[in-house]
Amino acid sequence: MLLKVENAKAYYKLEKVSVKAVDGVSFEIFEDEVVGVVGESGSGKTTLSNLVSMNILKPLTLVEGKILLKINGEFKEISSMSREEVKKKLWGKEVTIVPQSAMNALMPTIRMAKYVEHLAHSHDLAEEKLLAKAEKRFEEVGLDPLWLKRYPFELSGGMKQRAVIAIATILNPKLLIVDEPTSALDVVNQRVFLKVLMQLKRMGIVRSIIFITHDIATVRQIADRMIVMYAGKIVEISSMEEILRKPLHPYTRGLLNSVLTPEPEIRKRGISVIPGAPPNLISPPHGCRFHPRCPHVMDICKEKDPPLEEVEEGRRVACFLYSEERR
Amino acid sequence: MASKPMFRFLLRRFIFLLVTYIVATTVVFILPRAIPGNPLAQMLSSLSQVAQANPEAIRAAERTLMKEFGVDKPVLVQYGEFLLKALRGDLGTSISYYPRKVIDLIVPVIPWTLILLLPATLVAWILGNTLGALAAYRRNTWIDKGVLTSSLVVSQIPYYWLGMIFIFLFGVRLGWLPVQGAYSQGTIPSLSWGFFVDALKHYVMPFASIVISTMGGWAIGMRVMVVYELGSDYALFSEYLGMRDKRIFKYAFRNSLLPQITGLALNLGTVLGGALITEIVFNYPGTGFLLFKALTTLDYPMIQGIFVILIASVYLANFIVDFLYAWIDPRIRLGQEE
Repeated sequence: MLLKVENAKAYYKLEKVSVKAVDGVSFEIFEDEVVGVVGESGSGKTTLSNLVSMNILKPLTLVEGKILLKINGEFKEISSMSREEVKKKLWGKEVTIVPQSAMNALMPTIRMAKYVEHLAHSHDLAEEKLLAKAEKRFEEVGLDPLWLKRYPFELSGGMKQRAVIAIATILNPKLLIVDEPTSALDVVNQRVFLKVLMQLKRMGIVRSIIFITHDIATVRQIADRMIVMYAGKIVEISSMEEILRKPLHPYTRGLLNSVLTPEPEIRKRGISVIPGAPPNLISPPHGCRFHPRCPHVMDICKEKDPPLEEVEEGRRVACFLYSEERR
Repeated sequence: MASKPMFRFLLRRFIFLLVTYIVATTVVFILPRAIPGNPLAQMLSSLSQVAQANPEAIRAAERTLMKEFGVDKPVLVQYGEFLLKALRGDLGTSISYYPRKVIDLIVPVIPWTLILLLPATLVAWILGNTLGALAAYRRNTWIDKGVLTSSLVVSQIPYYWLGMIFIFLFGVRLGWLPVQGAYSQGTIPSLSWGFFVDALKHYVMPFASIVISTMGGWAIGMRVMVVYELGSDYALFSEYLGMRDKRIFKYAFRNSLLPQITGLALNLGTVLGGALITEIVFNYPGTGFLLFKALTTLDYPMIQGIFVILIASVYLANFIVDFLYAWIDPRIRLGQEE
């Protein structure tokens, strides 16, 4: 195991109200895997990535729960680290986030090689060594190392994305978090990008990848497991094949039905939409948060919040349809 | 390789410059003539008092004067002559200082204006930007709050009012500093130590009033810009990579400097116009003071002359900005090569 999140609650504390963006989630990331986190906008995906990387800035507050990360073979409670510690010990080396708008992620007015040199200073490394490493990494993501001597704006969108990944992984972070990396790319560049990600993992440059997206069609090509979020909660965790073969949670089912996938049986069924809209996270609905939109709603769903329970080996669902407690 | 596009770029700039120059000088030509009053009337009335001359002689004098200044010709002809002469650098004869040439009146005051305004503008820019950046770096601390509040207050103080307060306090009440002029009356400008100290004493108050009243604006602008840059994607990504805070701040500072440089250059361009009201308040012999006198006597050639020089210097500043920009921002430099 690489990372463990225990009952984490992270709220955006505003003056009078708090937005419960992540409300009691528990999961783990194993070594050597790609986990896709999916859900519609406002389901708490990005907040979850901020949580995992300990990028917690006001008004976001970790209200409850623990986050543990394996550093040098032993688990450290990173959720109790100060921001200074996080910056010094965690970021770049253990965990790196490629932010949502990776297109503008590179400092625009200096050459990329200069940027790498500055990174070397910040981590007390030798300039030449890190530059050599950057050149190698550029080659590994399919870019000519000569591009390092250029400015970011001289690269095309797809190239920029790869340059960002190359620089993001320059210190071999164990966990790489990519937030909506492919939404700004065309299909060809999306494929190239996914290939690059997989290659970096295969070569052991990064151990595990958390891939945050709303695009199920993309994530299914790369992820081993999938975490489905709805209104700040995890509703289903499962291996990719299982979830595609037989989605359990009604929300997951709705989500999968809302995209076109190449399977013949799904093509036959066509696309359907989930009626309604996601709830307000300031005062989410009582009981199961999905119940106002759920086609299988029962009485108990309106009163009690379904716990995330293991229904099969390695498969957890938060729904009373699969719970002992139903009725 | 880059010479042909570069040449085309320069040609385009030059044509653009010429067109705007003509437009600007047109405005300068029309505006003073729109002020009600006849500049010659004043001259003639003083003439009549002195000479006790008969109406006939005065009318004759009026005719010669009108010919001399070219006001007898149709306005369009006057305009054409003005444009041609302005391009050649001939700014005409002053009406109120008749028969001295406008250019001979402007040239001696230019150094005084430059000595006052160039350092004042630069010092205010440097101080303001440093303070603003510092405030952004120490955001939400007492430094930030102190800089922001005092900048807001100071930037709203009219500089001439500040000048008057200074005169009252340090000049009249405390008697520490001389209240008017650029040097003591009766002394002749020379390169001696004594004159330097004397001029410096006269310099302090106008200089300080300009610096203090303009640096607040720079500080506020810089603070906002740096705060914005610190929240941008590259700053965030650098943080995630474990880049040191100081380095990220340097990035933000560098990228925030671009718009500030434009502001500075445009400001420097207008420097030759003098700080009109400051120069009036302190009775400082600069171009602003000269312009004030020209305006009150409706001295058309003088007003035009000062503005022509002012416009030229603004253009020059714009030109310099283009090059400075290209130097700092590779996106502009490399974009033009293509």
